[in-house]
Amino acid sequence: MTELAQKVLETTTPYLGPASKIFLDRQTKRHMNGVIFDYLEKDHLPDLSRWVLISAGLLIDKNRAKELSEKISILQAA
Amino acid sequence: MTKMIHSLQTKLTLSFLLLIVVIAGLAFFNTYDATQKALKAQMGCELRSTAAAVAALIDGDLHAGLKSGDEQKPEYLSLQSRLQKIRANNPNIKYIYTMRHSAQGVEFVVDADYGVEEDAASIGQVYEQGPNFKDLMEGFEHNSADREFTSDEWGVVLSGYSPIRDSLGNSVGLLGVDMDSREVIARQQFIQHTIYYIIGIAILLAGIIVLLFSKTIIRDINKLNQTATKISLGQMDGVVDVKRRDEIGDLAESFSRMQASLKIMMNQDENPNENEK
Repeated sequence: MTELAQKVLETTTPYLGPASKIFLDRQTKRHMNGVIFDYLEKDHLPDLSRWVLISAGLLIDKNRAKELSEKISILQAA
Repeated sequence: MTKMIHSLQTKLTLSFLLLIVVIAGLAFFNTYDATQKALKAQMGCELRSTAAAVAALIDGDLHAGLKSGDEQKPEYLSLQSRLQKIRANNPNIKYIYTMRHSAQGVEFVVDADYGVEEDAASIGQVYEQGPNFKDLMEGFEHNSADREFTSDEWGVVLSGYSPIRDSLGNSVGLLGVDMDSREVIARQQFIQHTIYYIIGIAILLAGIIVLLFSKTIIRDINKLNQTATKISLGQMDGVVDVKRRDEIGDLAESFSRMQASLKIMMNQDENPNENEK
């Protein structure tokens, strides 16, 4: 798993719990042309952030989904 | 559904109300006691000053020479007239009299009411010891006042005493001044009632605040409870709509996280090959 993917997972877990990895895998595979989450790169972040906003908004409160999406969008690989 | 008597709201409200009542009660007793003491002290100070001022006007040698049966003598009438004039100029004074030591204890000498009121004391009439006798005895030595009100058939009074001295400066008696305590008691009752009202209003306001506060807590707990009930019945739709910055907010956040995870995993179980798609 890339360092960036690890950061995204760590950011998402407080919002979606232990199933965050499954959720993120699904977002990248289904909505981002089959990208594998473990190999996530910086260029994928805008798309992932947008899909997190939409999909997480169906699971948790929309404001918290927006908060998560914004946190993901500003993440940087070291 | 939790019964009203067992509900957290009832328990919280009752606990806070009980606490408020205890604190208000302690505050009441403390304030009332302090006020009562202050009023008595103020009146006692006034009485001592009045008694001292009047005692200084009495000729101790003349006073010491009065004996039983002298009530019509000019010396007695002169002293009595002086006491009556002083009382007439000071409407707060109810009774004014002089006393001295005797073989039986303490006896009256000049009573401003003698010959006017039927129950006034004549020279030599023995004073019946009351609860404030110690304060009275101190009056033979220095200015003093009763610590407690005296309640008898003549009303409720507080008395002040000051020694009467002869030309050599020896104490030969005391001057007693009784002030009607109705005004002081009325003032005490006014303060008591005011405190009652303030405490009543405080309890009412505190009760309303506690009720509203506990209502918001219970409302959010009920929301969490409803969502948990739905999940336990397999209904995963809906989100936890609780926005708080306290421990209940933390609980709601954890709950929301758990619910989201459950949804994701249940969806995964329903579509096991989805990740391979």
